[in-house]
Order: sequence, then C-alpha cells, then structure tokens
Amino acid sequence: MGAVQTKGDLEMVKKKTIWPYLLVAPALLIILCVVFVPVVNAILMSFQSYDLRRPNDIQFIGLQNYINVFQDSLFWKALARTILWVVFGVGFQFLFGFIMALLLNKKFFARGAIRAVSLIPWVTPGVLIGLMWRWIYDGNNGVLNDILLRLHLIDTKIPFLAQINTAFPSVIVAIIWQGIPFFALMILAGLQGIPAELYEAADIDGACASQKLFSITIPSIKNTIYITALLRIIWVANSVDVIFNMTEGGPAYSTQTLSVYIFNKGNALDLGYASSMAIIMALLLSIVAIPYLVSTFKKEV
Amino acid sequence: MAVVMLISLTACSTGDSKTSSNTQETTTNQSNEDTKDSGNTTINFRYWADNTDYSILMQSIIKKFNEENGKGITVVGEETPWDGGAYSENLFNAAMGGGGPDCATWKLTSTPLFMNNNLLANLSPYLKEWDGYSDIDENMYNVMKEASGTDDVYVMPWNVQVLYVYYRPSIFEAAGVEVPTTYEEFLEAVKKCTMDTDGDGKTDVYGFGMRGGKGGQEPWGSFIHGEGGNFEDLTSADSVKGMQDFIDLYKNGYVPPTATSDGYNEIIANFQSGLTAMTIHHTGSSANMVEALGDDVSAFPFPAGKGQWTSMGDTETVIFESCENKEAAFEWLTYLATGEGQKMWCEGTGNVPVSKTVQAGDYFQNDPFMKASIAGQSYAGILPILDTTTEWVSSIWPNTVGMALAGNLTAEECMEKLQNELYK
Repeated sequence: MGAVQTKGDLEMVKKKTIWPYLLVAPALLIILCVVFVPVVNAILMSFQSYDLRRPNDIQFIGLQNYINVFQDSLFWKALARTILWVVFGVGFQFLFGFIMALLLNKKFFARGAIRAVSLIPWVTPGVLIGLMWRWIYDGNNGVLNDILLRLHLIDTKIPFLAQINTAFPSVIVAIIWQGIPFFALMILAGLQGIPAELYEAADIDGACASQKLFSITIPSIKNTIYITALLRIIWVANSVDVIFNMTEGGPAYSTQTLSVYIFNKGNALDLGYASSMAIIMALLLSIVAIPYLVSTFKKEV
Repeated sequence: MAVVMLISLTACSTGDSKTSSNTQETTTNQSNEDTKDSGNTTINFRYWADNTDYSILMQSIIKKFNEENGKGITVVGEETPWDGGAYSENLFNAAMGGGGPDCATWKLTSTPLFMNNNLLANLSPYLKEWDGYSDIDENMYNVMKEASGTDDVYVMPWNVQVLYVYYRPSIFEAAGVEVPTTYEEFLEAVKKCTMDTDGDGKTDVYGFGMRGGKGGQEPWGSFIHGEGGNFEDLTSADSVKGMQDFIDLYKNGYVPPTATSDGYNEIIANFQSGLTAMTIHHTGSSANMVEALGDDVSAFPFPAGKGQWTSMGDTETVIFESCENKEAAFEWLTYLATGEGQKMWCEGTGNVPVSKTVQAGDYFQNDPFMKASIAGQSYAGILPILDTTTEWVSSIWPNTVGMALAGNLTAEECMEKLQNELYK
C-alpha cells in the first residue's frame, strides 16, 4: 500500500503553495532589517567620508578610508593586540574550562550546586564584569592589591590598569574569567556523551589516566572543542564591553583592540573610517568563521 | 503576519515619548497625573546629575515648576549619567534617531556637532520677547552666539563652574606650606606636600591629584597657561614647557601612580581619603567635600605664572528643533536660568549662577568655594570649540598624554600630536 502513490498524493507533492514563503517571511524580514541592511550600509559608508561632525562634506571617496586605515599605526597596533587578546584569552579559557569540565564531570558532594555557581561569570553582563574588575584592580583601594600586600607578595601597590605594561594582561585575565564557564559547560556536555564502555575497556587493557584522556576523552569531544573554540574566537575578537568598561582602550591606547578602536571611532562619529575598519575585521574573522559555517552546512546536509 | 509585525514595530518606535499633550511617561520619577488633563503640555527634559543629591534636587525643581507654572506645562525629567562625556554622544544619537528629548542640559563643546546637523532650535526669537533677558550678562549671550557660529542664540545660559584648587589645610600645615600665590609656588607646594608620613620609605601623601583620564584636559590647561602657553599654539615653547611640568610631576612621583587613568571619581576619592593634598575641581563637588572633610578642606584660585587660566565648566540648556512646543520648553528654560529653579539649583549644587539677581544673594556672597570660583572668573575660559573637540577630549587627549606620562612620547611630540588632532 505504501509503495503505491495515488493521483491525489502526487498533486499534493507538486502543488505550489505560498504558505511556506509566508511563514518564513517574518523571520526573513527581520534578518533583512537587522543584519542585511546595516551590513550593506556599513559597506557603503566605508567608501565615503562619512563623518557626522562634518555632514556637509560627506562624499564618495573610493578606497581612501581603506588606504588611511592601512597607513594608521594605531590600526596595526590594535590588530596585533587583538591577536594576542584572542590567542591568550580563548587559549586560557579553553585550558581552564577543560580542567573545570573534567572536575565537574566527577561525582562529588553538592555537584549540582557547584555546577550552577560556576556559571556566574558567564551569566554576568560584560559591563558589570568590567566595572567589577576595574575596582578589583584599583591601584589605590583595590582588593587585589590589598590581598597581595597582606600576603607580602608585593610591598607597593600596583596600578594595574594605569600602567601600559600591566593594563593589557589585566584585561585579558578578566575576559578569561568570563569565558571559562562557557567552555566548561560545552565540554561537560561533550564528556557526558562519551560511552562509559570505552573507559571500562581501557581499564581492562590497563590504560593509565593520561592515555584515557588523550586516546578516548579528547578524540570523543574533538568536534565540541572545535565548535566552541571557533565561536569564542569570534565573540572575544568582537568583544568591546569588558575592555571599554575597564580602561576605554587606555592608558595610552595600551588596551585598544580592533573592536574597541572601531567603537571609539564610531563614537567619535567618524563612521566612514570606523566602517572600513569593521569591514576589514569582518573579513579577517571570516577566515575563522568560514570553516565553522562549512562544517555546520555539511552536517545539515 | 509580516505586515502585522511591521505595524507593531512601527507603533513601538513611534511610541517614543516625543512632545505630546497627553503622553504618559513611565521612566520618570515625576507624577504624571496632570498630563492626563486635556490642554496640558508635556516637555521631556534630559539632564545629568553628578550625584544622588543633585538628582533629587533636580526632581524637586521639576516638581515645583510643574505645580506652580500655572500654564499647564508638565516637565518630565529623564536622568542620564554624564559618563565622562558619553552623555552628549548618547544625546546626539537619540536626536539623530528621532528619539531625543524636547530639551536638555548642555555643554558648549557639543554645539558645533548639533548645529551642523540642524538639531537645535533658535532661541533668539523667544529671548527678544522675554522680560528676564537683562538679568543675564550680555557677555554670556555673546559666548553662546560664538559657540553656535551664528548671530543667534541656540544655547541658553544656566550656570557656570569655575575650576579652582582644593587643598587640605592639615596637610599644608604638616608640610609647612602656605597657600600658593604664584604658579611656581604651586609647583613647589605640590613637591613639599608629597610626604612619607610613617617613615617606611614610601610615599603616603601625594602633593597633587592629577587627572590623566577623561576630563583631565581642563586642569591640564592651567599648567599650559601657567608657563605662558595657550590652546591656539600647543607647540609653542611655553606650551611645551607647561606639558613638561605636567610630565615631571608624574615622573618624579608627586602624583599617584594611577594618575594616567584617574578620572573624576578617583581624584575626589583620593583627595577625600587623604592620599592627595590638592586636586582641581569646581563647586559641583564642594558639598560632598565639606560633608566628608568638614573644616579640613579649603580652596584657592589656580595661581598666575607667566599666564593664568582656569577652565570654565559651562552648563547650559537647549531646545531641540524637533520639539513641538518650543514656547513651553522655553518657559522651563527661563525658570532654570533666572527663576526659582536657578536659585534652588545653584544653592544646592554650589554652581555659580548666571542670574544677576541670584548672584546678589547672601549664600553666594559668603561661601568660600564660591569666592574661589568668583576670583577665577576673570581668567576662566573654555577649550576651543571645534568639531574635533569632542573626540579630542574623550580619546585623543587622555591617550596621548598617557603616552607622554609613561615616557613613550616627549613633551614636544605629545603637544605636536595634540595640536594636529585638535586643528585637523
């Protein structure tokens, strides 16, 4: 019976209907409005002297904004800083997140509560994280200086966010703290999907802990690590809130990453210049994003 | 469905509380019952307050005006933080996006940006008809005209804040320092007040609370002029010398090591905690200073060297071109400029009034901080108002001076960069 298609069935398959398009339309419309239009607008502005402080001078200037960007030493320094920001930020987030996931995967007292508490940095808004760490690091009244003094690890207070050589590492620590739970959560979900039989078999074979880690655990959650790392690289590279609320890119531009530089230029209303940097940054990030999109697409197909 | 969503979104966006006769505002502390009466006019007024006391004060002024104006005008206050100048940027974004208020408190430095985009209402026609016009010095109107770059007044005078030097008499006494009367004496006093009070070999009191973060260009300007420099030519030998003084204070440890990033909160906290002997601010912080330190705080005008200058922190009000009831908004601005609102605000905040009638009151004649302000009025000024000033103040100045303080730029290089960025 199932193998025989009636005329009616065929008509149902072939009949064109507007309903799927209507149902998709609202989502498509919103995406067009909030993603496509601003992106096209940014591309157009990047080819104009779009400075709202001088609205009468706005005109098409071709690639001049891009040429200026490539000649801007602040851009190159911000780009180099962004690479360090992502490498150290995401790298340590992964390392500590992985360790935390392994710990949280063990059975111990109040595991559920500790799992919930460990998510606090991730659910705290970036603005609050920035303000909170700013006071922790405060050079005169900060708790970190107080602890280090009491432990006799330092004998003079360190102005963490006011010195060029300490400000950038300090903001990196804050972003690491924020991102650890996300890695931990994702990796924990991956760990719980590994069949216990694999570990039992390894035990029978006499495998040690490190052998189990490198031969079973990591290969089993390889995809999870890959996807999580890709997402975090994109998010951290784009992150403005934590740095802006801690240092606004200072002192002396020492914490100005590319996204913060774009934000500052945008705030200064030089939207053409800010847009050209944003387009360059988007192209650079697409190098990271494309493998992710390709892998996602393959899975869906 | 898409059409419905569009209509909903449109309705939401146009639902922003622009001037209307029957608007109900939910984000305000004001009671809006009156606005439901027919014939009433609602004016949305955006302002910033430096602390909660000033916030409460402004709300009480609004309440009093709403109760007593007798013209059916209801002012709805929208408080937004100053946030190191982000207030102006946010106000611009709101005005450009069509969601701005009817009128707002103001800084002159923002004027070119808003004028270039035709966002401000011309107040001259209303001023001509106003019988309180002569209660404000003509010079104030001239400054407003200069800021707008036209022969008309687009910005309404409200109050001024003249920067002076706060000092701790107890620290001066311990250091054996008299109140400085010249720029050289001031620099010497900073050095002498930097002390190791407990003998452990570390500095416990710094002579001066330097502001190297946002807003620091105002006290910095006094150093530049103290050596005879000026804002027109920051690369002159005198201007560079003033910059060198600034760098030397940091490099030689006469200011806290956090100075490169210290803003308003930090310089006030450091002064109140006794970490610094002097700092520069205006009467906007005097009430808090007295509350925290009692008699152990006083003030002197920034002393003269080869030149003399202090920053006149101006605060005005404006009406936006998009305001539909400009006459009602103007009525509110005059209440703030010369009426009871002027007296309440200036007495409550310690700001210098623009109304001659209010200036003559006992409070302003007897207040020591007001005296320092009034003494500084003769040489007080503002930064050049250019379309580059906002970015220069919020980003270029703190970062460039930060580089100089850290030793990455010489005084000459720093001033050259500041000059190029301000006049580009």
